[in-house]
Amino acid sequence: MLTVALQQGINGLVLGSLYVLVALGLTLIYGVLVQINFAHADIVTLGAFAAYFFTHALGGGYLPSIALALLVGAGLGFLINAAVFAPLRERGNELLPLIATIGVSVMLENVMLAWFGPIPYAFDSPYSDEVIRFGGMFFTVQSVLIIAVSTAAIGLLYAFMKFTFLGKALRAVAQDRETAGLMGINPNRVIMLTFVIASALAGMGGAMLGPVLVLTPFAGASVIVKAFAIVIIGGFGNVEGTIIAGLIVGLIESYTTQVLGPGLIDIVVFALLLLMLAVRPTGLIAERREENV
Amino acid sequence: MSDAPAIFRAHGLSKNFGGVRAVKDVSLVVAPATVFAIIGPNGAGKSTLLNLISGVHPPDAGTVMFDSFDVTGLPPHARVRHGLARTFQKIRLFKQLSVIDNVVAGFHARHSIPAWQYVWHGSAFRADRARCRAEATELLAFVGLSGRAQALAGALSYGEQRMLEIARALATAPRLLLIDEPAAGLNAAEVEALLERIRVLRERGMTVLVVEHNMDLVMNVADRVLVMDYGEPLFEGTPAEVQVHPGVIAAYLGAEP
Amino acid sequence: MSDAYSAADRTRGWGVLAATCIIAVLPLVFRDSYWRTNLIVCALNVMLAIGLDFVVGYAGQLNLGQSAFYGIGAYVSTLLIMRLGLPFWPAFVCGVVASAVSGMALSLFAVRLRGHYLAIASLGFAVITYQVLLNWISLTQGPLGIYGIAPPPPFGLPGWQIDFTDLANLFYLVAGFALLSYVLLDQLVRSPIGGTLTAIREDEVSAASLGINARLWKVFAFAVGAAIAGGAGCFYAGFVGTLVPDAFFITESFNILAMVIVGGMGTLSGPVFGAILLTVLPEFLRGIGDLRLIVYGLALTLVVLFMPGGIAQALRLARQRLMRSSPRQPSGAKP
Repeated sequence: MLTVALQQGINGLVLGSLYVLVALGLTLIYGVLVQINFAHADIVTLGAFAAYFFTHALGGGYLPSIALALLVGAGLGFLINAAVFAPLRERGNELLPLIATIGVSVMLENVMLAWFGPIPYAFDSPYSDEVIRFGGMFFTVQSVLIIAVSTAAIGLLYAFMKFTFLGKALRAVAQDRETAGLMGINPNRVIMLTFVIASALAGMGGAMLGPVLVLTPFAGASVIVKAFAIVIIGGFGNVEGTIIAGLIVGLIESYTTQVLGPGLIDIVVFALLLLMLAVRPTGLIAERREENV
Repeated sequence: MSDAPAIFRAHGLSKNFGGVRAVKDVSLVVAPATVFAIIGPNGAGKSTLLNLISGVHPPDAGTVMFDSFDVTGLPPHARVRHGLARTFQKIRLFKQLSVIDNVVAGFHARHSIPAWQYVWHGSAFRADRARCRAEATELLAFVGLSGRAQALAGALSYGEQRMLEIARALATAPRLLLIDEPAAGLNAAEVEALLERIRVLRERGMTVLVVEHNMDLVMNVADRVLVMDYGEPLFEGTPAEVQVHPGVIAAYLGAEP
Repeated sequence: MSDAYSAADRTRGWGVLAATCIIAVLPLVFRDSYWRTNLIVCALNVMLAIGLDFVVGYAGQLNLGQSAFYGIGAYVSTLLIMRLGLPFWPAFVCGVVASAVSGMALSLFAVRLRGHYLAIASLGFAVITYQVLLNWISLTQGPLGIYGIAPPPPFGLPGWQIDFTDLANLFYLVAGFALLSYVLLDQLVRSPIGGTLTAIREDEVSAASLGINARLWKVFAFAVGAAIAGGAGCFYAGFVGTLVPDAFFITESFNILAMVIVGGMGTLSGPVFGAILLTVLPEFLRGIGDLRLIVYGLALTLVVLFMPGGIAQALRLARQRLMRSSPRQPSGAKP
């Protein structure tokens, strides 16, 4: 009994770490720009497709495909920032960029629909079949791989934000763009860097989610709704909160997936999200600030 | 002046913001048809006090009474029906609307149109529309913006925007008008025009509560002055009394050039 | 002053008359069922778009849940007709009311949320609604869908009846309701309610200082926008004959938003053009296959980047340019 619970817990952490990868990108962008990139979901999907075609059509290795997806994500992040967010920055309207990214997202999804079709692709990772036994529990090598790669990525990001100059510049721009600019930091470059990192994480997450999800052009959309929930629960712009919230959502999904179906899980997670928004929109960890008018 | 019933009383108002004591135990009594000024250095809590009075923030302690009504628990929009109107320190006009439409927005609580006529524009609708238009034009004339009725509010100069905000607040037909730091950013001529308007409003029976940072302006128009410092009341009296009060001079006037 | 108003009123009167004539004539011009079907879809999309514009463009609330209200109207009315045997028009009213109540519920729930948070909450509402429609199989039959839904029953006296299995008549019905919805919204917008909603959109804090109860009016706007979407949903069910949850996936919300933005947010007439354009344009692009659906996303992105006021803004600029080039323009023209 305990073994089963523990096994499901670990599966939840595996899933959760992937959600964290996707959600971190959203929260980083929001922290620095106070904007939501709706096309983030499609970067995840394209990362998954890139990895799929690299391994299944070109016969490449799985690990290199993750690296490829990372690069694809980075490239997309660069393009979206350059084409959409940067030009709209001066306008001042806080919702136009979000609407523009909705447009980009719809475009990308329809392009993918036209190229790849609506039928799900079977993304088999070579590591899904190899199994490790440990203390009465079964783990696929794929799960171990996911945890290893995600932890490494998240850890590197965390260290980057805390200890390097660029990381601190990123946090500075997130707190006060004008002052950061006055201190010699180029906010536009930092924002671009943030986008590239965030989207690279998303692409990487897509490559590792590919074998887990139903791979259609809408695969990212199914994850993004959970990613939004995670970012809101953890607090927009709050990295630690996002990590914790992501793992919690993964655990919830793992434990309830036996009882409910995947569709109902969405309802549970979203109901949780709506509850969060009603009670504490700034997130579990963030502090509430009253605004003086 | 002190025999007349008070139109407005605040008692024991306090407000903390995350550990910072913005306002502590402030009380005031305002007589009708007078100008009451609240002054103090930056950070004294004047704007917070105004926000407490107008209902933007709920106070941690204290009450706000308007005539004999306890309005402490009421949200800002409900206080307007009691006759309270305000302007803002940071100008909050409807920038995408025209000047006259900004003023007309202030008539929200005063329309007399039966519900069905919002869908089928009958005679009551047209009469109300004409009345609002006429009154808005009068208000614009009062603040000196007659020629600018159709301009976009965002296109006005800073001083004109300030006066527009006052016209818009007056459209609610208030009995107590709260003005938050109106002179900031105005040149000398604009300040004089502003003070003149406030005097006229007082003559017409309106009560005005002004928060100001600059003491000289206020001395020329206020009937009573409350000096605040560090969120607490320092002294209340007539302008003449305030000018010679040693505590006030030490805390505030001493810093003036 | 009153002259300006009566002139505007008269222009609108002519506009409604012109629209009525165009609606009357269209099915006579397009006689094949393919194009008549498209006309009906146009009319449905017009209803969805103007309903959304009322909430997004006038009240300034970024609502991504319009697909949910569309679906609720469709499913509630259909289930009442097919399970409880209710006649069409009472079921229609129930569908509209159900959608309106849902809109009020979402707005009340999200009343303290701004901007991004509201967008996500409304998206969450749309996702939950979709999942409920998909998974509550005993009620909705889930992905298998509900089949054999009849169009509205014939209308009129025995001997002379309007039969709605005829696509032309169905178009008149739906377009008639679309026109009615437009006139209703237009009247509201040109009343003080329009100014109230705009005030809330521009600055809720100062709107409150003028006595405006922002919560109340946001709920009102949501209810009206959702009611119109629900009405469209009731017609959709009878028009298509089959009801599947996938018709109300969240991408539908994005498409409707695209129609509003491309047409011109906050103008009411703009979204009409936006809806027609984005419904019809993919039909002309059938040559490029499935790629044609890209118009929604592409149009939305390009409009936001280069002409955020949409078609309405483009028309305004064109008119200004025409007036400037006219030699009879006096130099100190009154606005």
